[in-house]
Amino acid sequence: MSDKMGKGAFFRAAVFLAAIAAPLVIGNIYWTSALTLILINVLLAVSLRLIVLIGEFSLGHVGFMCLGAYTSALLTMKAGVPFGVGVVAGGVMASLVALALGYPFMRVKGIYFVILTVMASESFRNLALNWEAFTGGFNGLVGIPAPGTLKFPWIGDVDFGGFIEYYYLTLAVVAVSLFLMSTLEKSRLGFTWRAIRETDVQAGAVGINVLRYKVINFAVACFFAGIGGALLAHSEQTISPQAGSAFGVMTTMYLLIYMVVGGKSRFSGPIYGAVVLSLVMEFTRPLQQVQPMIIGFIAVAVVLFFPDGMVSMPGILRKRLSKTQKPFEVKAADGARKG
Amino acid sequence: MLDMEVEQGRIAGIIGPNGAGKSTALNMIGGTLLPSKGKIVYNGRDISRTPMHRRAQYGIGRVFQENLLFKGFTALENVLVGFHLQRGKGLSSIFMNTPFGRGAETALQEKAREILAFVGLESSADESANDLPHGKQRLLCLAVALAVQPRLLLLDEPLTGMNAVEVDNMLALIRALKKEKGTTCIIIEHNMRAVMGLCDRITVLNFGRKIAEGTPEEILNNPLVAEAYLGAD
Repeated sequence: MSDKMGKGAFFRAAVFLAAIAAPLVIGNIYWTSALTLILINVLLAVSLRLIVLIGEFSLGHVGFMCLGAYTSALLTMKAGVPFGVGVVAGGVMASLVALALGYPFMRVKGIYFVILTVMASESFRNLALNWEAFTGGFNGLVGIPAPGTLKFPWIGDVDFGGFIEYYYLTLAVVAVSLFLMSTLEKSRLGFTWRAIRETDVQAGAVGINVLRYKVINFAVACFFAGIGGALLAHSEQTISPQAGSAFGVMTTMYLLIYMVVGGKSRFSGPIYGAVVLSLVMEFTRPLQQVQPMIIGFIAVAVVLFFPDGMVSMPGILRKRLSKTQKPFEVKAADGARKG
Repeated sequence: MLDMEVEQGRIAGIIGPNGAGKSTALNMIGGTLLPSKGKIVYNGRDISRTPMHRRAQYGIGRVFQENLLFKGFTALENVLVGFHLQRGKGLSSIFMNTPFGRGAETALQEKAREILAFVGLESSADESANDLPHGKQRLLCLAVALAVQPRLLLLDEPLTGMNAVEVDNMLALIRALKKEKGTTCIIIEHNMRAVMGLCDRITVLNFGRKIAEGTPEEILNNPLVAEAYLGAD
């Protein structure tokens, strides 16, 4: 057990080091900003999976991302608050709205909840589209400030205006968020969420306030969606509420695909899904209209052959290999032990 | 129309033909259904509109008709979910499973193992609830209900699908609960022999109405009850 955990920690450290080294090795502005977007996708897909812990799906994640993005952008642009405060405020705003909507929404389950989340997220986007005086309407917001210079205790002042610096800032925020989410999942709160997913009636019968725990779950997931949206806004420095933009329904669909293709049974699933599929999307960008088809094809293929997603691939492949190679040896060994 | 009183520390039975409204009555007491009319009073408190999780806080534990378990969890974890109310509130309870609160967690695990030992499942503690045979799942349902520390236990057909040995075992457990902890029970059961031997008082329902009430002997000799079960001559 401890050996396995040690291996896991080693693997995580290796991935983190690779993420640190990536922009230095690549040394290319376009790819550095692409990697920043991938990190944001990871954060969004993992936070979307939090809702799966209580046995629900949301197709409204992009709406809460949009709330976070506009909150942070408007606060930094119009009120002149610092970047960090803006990003956290974006998360808080998204989670407050989720808290308020959660109580009515969580009274229904399954597909009905999904429909409510889609409607909510589209309403947020349309609000941004039509409230011109405040949100800039159709043209969105342009000139969202970069983080600027932040002070650090040992390193001194660092200017996060550049692409590489912003990548590292995003990496830090995403890493902390992932750590928080995985701690939450292992915690008592995550345990209670999973209990509700198993049987909500029995959960209520042992005294769990099911509705409240579901709403808390929704609010926590949307908090990280808001953070993700805010990071996106400051990365692109311009946001738009148009249907084809990052806040359109397609983004929600892609997030769902990242999570399902990666595997929603494990914490690492959406991370793999988001990284691999985002890379595929980057490489297939020149193919334009064919691109969504390629993603769809991959999604169908993975779900068909590996229903539990990419995280289940090693186990299934290993089982298949051991089955084809040495069924007789295993039997012989069994017989030898008995005799 | 059902008018029924259960004294503390007694075992009350509800019997009646299929569709008589036994489970409906129990679900209203437990809070899965809310009554459209009438009153449910528990410990002098009107709980007719109280949500289910609050009733658990008041000490009402439940064993449902079907095996409602946290199927993906181990037997031990199932009981740990049942301890939900006994963990403190706030942040300390949220981070219990993390290094911040491991001590308290070990104490709860000990208590959970005690409950499993009481129902005779200590050897299955680390098995997945889903892999247990029906009889053991039924016992685990009882263990989860006991984790709530109930003063009133609602048992909806606890003996269904059990063999003779398992039935005797379950009956012995319910008697032990009454004797050792003074737990009040309301039980629905089709196994007449078990009901007659176990209950202090029995209420008979037919088509949603109470047609008889009394000690097991009175019920056995009641012509109305025989008619409800066997039909009029």
